[in-house]
Amino acid sequence: MCCRRLAFWACLPLAVLGLSETFHEQLHIRSLPDGKVASRFSFSTILAGAHPPSPHNRSLDDDPQHYTLFPLGLGQILREYAVTEMHLTLNAGKWSYDRWGYPEEDGVGTGAELWAWMADGADATVDQRWLGLRNALAGLFCASLGSLDELRTTSPGFVFAPGALPDWPFPHAIRHASLPSEHVCTENLTPFLKLLPCKSSSGLASLLNPHRLFEADWHGMGLHVSWLPEEGVQVRLTFQTVSDPLRPSNKRDWSFGSLFDRTIQRSCPVASSSEIAVALPFRVPYTISPEPSLVDSGLAIFDVSQMEKPLDVSLHWPQGFQYSTSALAEAPLSIRRTLKGYTQDNGELSVLIKNDQDRSVDVAYLETMPWIVQFYLHTLILQIDGVTRPELLRNITYTPPVPHSRATMFQVIVQIPPRSTLKLSMDITKAFLRYTEHPPDAQRGWDLPPAVFVPLDSEPQRRIYAPTLLVDLATPDFSMPYNVIIFTCSLIAFIFGSIFNYLTRRFVVLQVPS
Amino acid sequence: MATSLRDPSTLFFQSEAIRRLIISSYWVVLIAALPLWWHTTSIERLSLPTSRVNAQADRQLRLPISIGLEDASLVGPLQRELDSRGQRWKGLDVTVAGAAANASYIVVNADNAALLGERRLQFPLRRATIPLLADALSDLLVPRLNSHRIAHYAPRYRLAFTLLNEDAVEGDAISSWDISTAITHQLSPLLDALSVLHNFTIESQVQFHAPLAFSPQPMSDGSVGLTPEDLTVFVNSAEWTLSSSVSNDPVLHFLVFVPSSSHRPMHILDAHGVPTTAESFLLPQWGGIVIYNPPNTERGVRPLSHDALSSILPQFSNQLLSLLGVAKLPPGIPSTSPLTEWQLDALLRRRAFENTLEATETLQSIVRLVDQIDNMPVGQDVRGDVLSALSSLDHIHIHSKTASALPLPLSLSLNTTLHHSATALTLASRAFFNPGMLALLYFPTEHKFAVYMPLFASAVIPLLATVIREVAAWRKQRREAAVAVAAAAQ
Repeated sequence: MCCRRLAFWACLPLAVLGLSETFHEQLHIRSLPDGKVASRFSFSTILAGAHPPSPHNRSLDDDPQHYTLFPLGLGQILREYAVTEMHLTLNAGKWSYDRWGYPEEDGVGTGAELWAWMADGADATVDQRWLGLRNALAGLFCASLGSLDELRTTSPGFVFAPGALPDWPFPHAIRHASLPSEHVCTENLTPFLKLLPCKSSSGLASLLNPHRLFEADWHGMGLHVSWLPEEGVQVRLTFQTVSDPLRPSNKRDWSFGSLFDRTIQRSCPVASSSEIAVALPFRVPYTISPEPSLVDSGLAIFDVSQMEKPLDVSLHWPQGFQYSTSALAEAPLSIRRTLKGYTQDNGELSVLIKNDQDRSVDVAYLETMPWIVQFYLHTLILQIDGVTRPELLRNITYTPPVPHSRATMFQVIVQIPPRSTLKLSMDITKAFLRYTEHPPDAQRGWDLPPAVFVPLDSEPQRRIYAPTLLVDLATPDFSMPYNVIIFTCSLIAFIFGSIFNYLTRRFVVLQVPS
Repeated sequence: MATSLRDPSTLFFQSEAIRRLIISSYWVVLIAALPLWWHTTSIERLSLPTSRVNAQADRQLRLPISIGLEDASLVGPLQRELDSRGQRWKGLDVTVAGAAANASYIVVNADNAALLGERRLQFPLRRATIPLLADALSDLLVPRLNSHRIAHYAPRYRLAFTLLNEDAVEGDAISSWDISTAITHQLSPLLDALSVLHNFTIESQVQFHAPLAFSPQPMSDGSVGLTPEDLTVFVNSAEWTLSSSVSNDPVLHFLVFVPSSSHRPMHILDAHGVPTTAESFLLPQWGGIVIYNPPNTERGVRPLSHDALSSILPQFSNQLLSLLGVAKLPPGIPSTSPLTEWQLDALLRRRAFENTLEATETLQSIVRLVDQIDNMPVGQDVRGDVLSALSSLDHIHIHSKTASALPLPLSLSLNTTLHHSATALTLASRAFFNPGMLALLYFPTEHKFAVYMPLFASAVIPLLATVIREVAAWRKQRREAAVAVAAAAQ
């Protein structure tokens, strides 16, 4: 009944008739200083002229949605939960900033991480829509995102700043949660590929061979939805890997065949642009084949639609590879984060931030913890070479945890003087969980989310993820609940019996015949 | 002190009154705690209106139909003729009258050919054509339909239109289609007419790589053919991303399949392997598929031509009508509008019957299930849903009785009936699938006793023993006292 008037709605979010949709794909490959190869696939679909779905207009339910290149399954989710901006990453492994520098995509925290900016003002609150979004994405990607529940949700708006937000009367709010124990695997890649217009049958996506991607040293996928006011709504799907060509051959040489075990046979007919960018080595001899379409500022660019098929780009170093002993990467900070203490009820969180530059750096430091680990803020100590330096700390933002429900958020800005290492430490207490709150593999411990660091004086501001931690909580003996019941009952019955006996006993003096 | 130790009965807590007080206070606490224990361990099982549900099952929904006949002399013969087709008119009270003003349907005389109007049929009225008229009325008012095809009733459907290129990479592919304009022009009037029954949400997508799960049969003339067996496995759900996960509304799919250039032209074969002219087929309760072979004159990646789209949309609208259960008009009775009131009324009646029957059956199942499984909790929400469903069903019956007496317009009366039946069905299903009913299903009584016994048996036995001992002591005392009193009296 509502289909006809829809055509006349002006400025219909994500559903305007005749919206042009464009699809761009890019593969960026660079050799890392330690001989590994980082590749980043980026598939971006732009719905030109579209606005993010507004939560105020609930008649949207009846509006038709017509898409050509934009994935319908995702469009439905974005509209149903009125999401303005959303980022989902599923990663496996630890990104080593010290050896590899900054990644092409910021979101490299281990496990699953989801954050979304949503406007208030709808019938459903932001939290209800956040719940729905989690469950919908869990279904779409076959991942346990449903576990990103209230126990893990925080609102760190400063570190996870939005891109452009539309000018609506109601404010936007962020929800963020991460699940470090989530493992990314083939079952997540299959739905990922189905969101692409050419699936994995042609174009750059045909290189996404699960057998090779998931044996890489580091791999991760991402889904980024954002609004570009000049262009429209953009959905960007990314896949990053760090593969190791040294392992099979002891040479740094790589080709599509060696990295992915596939070559590009056909180009995607609906891609507006399809390019491969290879970072060329600096001041060392090399050969690259085939001849790139363009070489620009150290990057060899291949236009896939123009190249001869099958396309197998390869890079060859005539000189062998020498492990470098000097500092390798360009990352400004080196971060180590550890959990100390061996008891099951308390411990110490210790963070070492090393600044190798000749100027001091301001860093925003964010911890989002489930309530199972609680901070004692009064024990927070900042030290440089054993000297306490409390003046380096400012802007503490702290959301205390609520046991069994709310997560902690702890955010500070610290200043790290030039060429020094800042040690930040804080006592923590570990929670005692209820029987049913333990995960199925309780003895393994709990993975704690990665901390996030943002150097504030660089432009653009980029996030640095510290590795995840594992905390060992007191675990009960799950195997014998019935024995425990019996034992407790016997004890209580014994105590009850004794007390009752003493209270009601009749004392009689017996004459002992002596 | 020394004396009390020699004679403990002088200690204050060794007095009989105190001891009895202690024992009785234990029992008071135990008995006072019993209701709490009972309350916290019992399963909430509210009573369900079993007799009302069973009474509902015995009732038959009857909808009145009155037919006004221009020629009053033919009223008797037509009524007899219609009554002889009794089985088909089950649940309907048909009355034929003269050209009365309040008749739902009117049949007027037309000399040569039949023509269908808005609840008005022009038919050559003669005594000889009465059996023909009865047939025509039966086909219009209670059409025969293949019930396996018809999608299950839902208040809202999603209509998902998908353009599938078998393999766009081969170069000769359809990149886009102006489906939204086509729907507005060609499908919207139909959807508006059907809006009394269902709401529709429309979505569309284009896929560029949709391989088949089987290889179609090559034919001698270079084309390929789809056998009837192929059609049953045509939809490749593993590769085609068709399903939408965001809502629970049922989806009706409408696919345009563009074969890859090596599979063109693609024909549908009949049971003997001979190509047919048909280019579309229907998957019962699922949707419709049109196979579009692009003409050889076109090459390259291009949008779907306007002509092609306007030839595809009528096939979709036919498929939609048969999926929703709209009957075709009987042969020989043409109509001016795409969807007549006769067809719509027939569908409304059919859906009302279906929903009422299904709601009643669901309610009976709930009652039976709760009867059979003693551990099944029945909460306030389940009971509330069952009661509301029953009252909706009652409304239908009351309404169908009063409707025949009141001069309500037929469409309004049918809409109300359908509305109530849909409400009853929704509520009954919601009660049936209430997750709260499963809560304690696998927590048997034996289990509970196994947990309680080690504590309760060992605590209650000393309590009982003391009470018995104390009562015995008390009776002994009384006897001795009585003996002493008697001795003193003597």
